[in-house]
Amino acid sequence: MTTTLERIKKLFLENFDFPEERLRPEATIESIGLDSLDKIEFLFALEKEFDIKIPDREVKLDSIQDIIDVVERLVMEQHAEQRQSV
Amino acid sequence: MTRVVITGMGIISPVGNSCEEFFDNLAAGRSGIKKMSWDFADRLSVKISAEVDFDVEAYFSKKTARTLDRVSQFAMVAASQAWQDAAIQLPEKEQKRAGVYLGTGMGGARTLEESYVQLLKQNVKRLHPLTVVMVMNNAAASYISMTHRLKGPCLTYSTACSSSAVAIGEAFRQIKHGYADVMLAGGTESLLTFGIFMSWESIGTLALEAEDPSTSCRPFSKDRSGFVLGEGSAILVLESLDRAKKRGARIYGEVIGYGSTADADHITKPSVEGQADAMRAALEEARISPDDIDYINAHGTATVANDAVETKAIKEVFGQRACHIPVSSTKSMHGHLLGAAGAVELVAAVLALNKRIVPPTANLMVPDPECDLDYVPGKARTGLDLKVVMSNSFAFGGTNAVLIVRKHE
Repeated sequence: MTTTLERIKKLFLENFDFPEERLRPEATIESIGLDSLDKIEFLFALEKEFDIKIPDREVKLDSIQDIIDVVERLVMEQHAEQRQSV
Repeated sequence: MTRVVITGMGIISPVGNSCEEFFDNLAAGRSGIKKMSWDFADRLSVKISAEVDFDVEAYFSKKTARTLDRVSQFAMVAASQAWQDAAIQLPEKEQKRAGVYLGTGMGGARTLEESYVQLLKQNVKRLHPLTVVMVMNNAAASYISMTHRLKGPCLTYSTACSSSAVAIGEAFRQIKHGYADVMLAGGTESLLTFGIFMSWESIGTLALEAEDPSTSCRPFSKDRSGFVLGEGSAILVLESLDRAKKRGARIYGEVIGYGSTADADHITKPSVEGQADAMRAALEEARISPDDIDYINAHGTATVANDAVETKAIKEVFGQRACHIPVSSTKSMHGHLLGAAGAVELVAAVLALNKRIVPPTANLMVPDPECDLDYVPGKARTGLDLKVVMSNSFAFGGTNAVLIVRKHE
């Protein structure tokens, strides 16, 4: 099964133009070179890829690892809700 | 007053994505009008357009391409072509004396339309975060200012089909009156979308499809039925004559006159008085007489109303001489580029001046007693001694703009 990191990497490579080796879990968003507008754009792509809604302004997303944690948590929470409501 | 010259030109158009290709096709009478390939054509009664053949990946990285509406992509490529063509350098201390004026009818309307489809048909939870900056009318001009470090005035004009002629005229005056030394000026448009076609179809100005679709637009012909929607961009480098001379730049011509008037009469119906006054105003600023004009690139939309009114207006301004000036409508080949039309047609007129070739009005096969000037039907005229050319742009809303360029000798 594809890991969350792999899916996030794939999204990064689809959306931005920089080398894959920079995308390590500990890398910070800043060090990768995303500005504030890029970051918003990337969150939008994450929402689509994982079918989740990332709450505005509430989550800490400083590094790739933060993104993985948040995405995994939201997928659990939001997809569990969906299963219950069905 | 500072004299203003054209030192570079760039174009993305339905008949070619370089000035050479563009003009060669026009001179050969080759049309860029074709049957459209989109699915939505099924729901339209007019299924033809003048589409640009544009390989996005040849010009932009995938990330950049996704963040730009097609209208900005066209403009950025046309601007870079013009910049390179002018072989211009802009040291930091000159950046504040350089600007960009563009015209566009509806800017990023394509992105807006796509967003509504996502929102209303696909019920998406969020729109793309860059929707605002992709849709806004001034995006193209802003990206050009960023790319070429133009820190002087950066403005976007929107006066429907005269937008880019207005932008060029106003940019010319920025230099003429001493506010800038270099201006990138022109227009861009990309509105070949379902909603836009439906809107034009409803107002009834689109050409009926001819048996050979490429001949559907027939300016000044008795059997004309309207225009064909096109897309693209044309951008010129305007520069003070002194600066251009000092650096030994190649000079395509000198912009000498610009006339701008409003019909103040009707939202769509053209006015002889408004058009004639714009031509007179441009002649007056140029300090030349009607006898000095050697070629007119007409607005020539091929609507029943425009072509008869424009003919009358030309006769009013030029009197006896009107019948002796070649007047052609290149819209017959590149279609109507709306906000970009004025710039595209000025490029055609300036190339005519330089190559001594007047491009024809294609598809003019049935004379109309109401259109009785020399429209250069069917075939280009070569080897002409052209010194001064005029380009007419008129518009829904009634803003008329006329530009005059003189050969630099």
